[in-house]
Amino acid sequence: MLAADRNARGLEETRALAKDEGLSVGTFTVDVSKADMVSGMVERALADFGRLDVLVNAAGTLMRTPAVAEVTERDWDLMMSTNLKGPFLCIRAAVPAMTQNGGGAIVNISSMAGVQGASASVPYSIAKAGLIHLTTVTANQYTSLGIRINCIAPGPVDTPQSRGGTQSAEALAELGELHPMGRIGQPEEIASVIVFLASNEASYMSGHTLIVDGGLWTVSRG
Amino acid sequence: MDKLIEIADRAAADYGFRQIVQWSPDDIVGEWGLSDREADVLKGPLKDALDELPIPVEPADLPREQERLAQIIRDGLS
Repeated sequence: MLAADRNARGLEETRALAKDEGLSVGTFTVDVSKADMVSGMVERALADFGRLDVLVNAAGTLMRTPAVAEVTERDWDLMMSTNLKGPFLCIRAAVPAMTQNGGGAIVNISSMAGVQGASASVPYSIAKAGLIHLTTVTANQYTSLGIRINCIAPGPVDTPQSRGGTQSAEALAELGELHPMGRIGQPEEIASVIVFLASNEASYMSGHTLIVDGGLWTVSRG
Repeated sequence: MDKLIEIADRAAADYGFRQIVQWSPDDIVGEWGLSDREADVLKGPLKDALDELPIPVEPADLPREQERLAQIIRDGLS
């Protein structure tokens, strides 16, 4: 496994956590919005392992924005570059490497903001909606070559991004209180779905977006 | 200096923006047209301070943290 992130300190934490579990994880510092860095990431994976079986597009960032008429071009571009251009570049670089060995699996991490929209961040919602369609289109193009491409749309999960995005501990707690399960998700509950979609257990799934929000989406449907 | 303080204010309040400042500082330097001296402060003492900020900065603490970051910028550019 090769963990890749622009956060070098986070990568070292990931490597240490994996080591505690007896796992060896390589690391690679990458900004997924930069094509040359993404190419370097795939080359490094091929150099280390000789093949590429799985790509997980998990990089993302959520900046709060005002209503559309007040969103700056700068904010729009910053959000699109990580949340949508990044997965595009990673898929573009990974597909040739996967087809060399008969296929693979790609898992994109979208968001319920991409399914329902979230006015707290217009560019984030649009980018995540775009990622769902990137999943559909690329699955249509590459499933016949043995690459299964699926997507997850998580609801609120207890991550630094969610904690930061809600902007206060009180607001995060309120999210849990409003949830049918009385809590928001844990990262492990998304990770287990990623593992499923990447594995042969999901061998007949491609082009699908799985909602993983503990049933929160049903609340708005009565 | 005003642009850098504006960036720091927003990075304290918005964790998503903070991550871009921390981990893609060249994008911020380019988009905001920062000077070389401002870029050095951004990538040095300001980034170090952002790394230590809580996630999130609670609303009651925000003015104090923003003023602390502004002082780091003033010191760095003086």
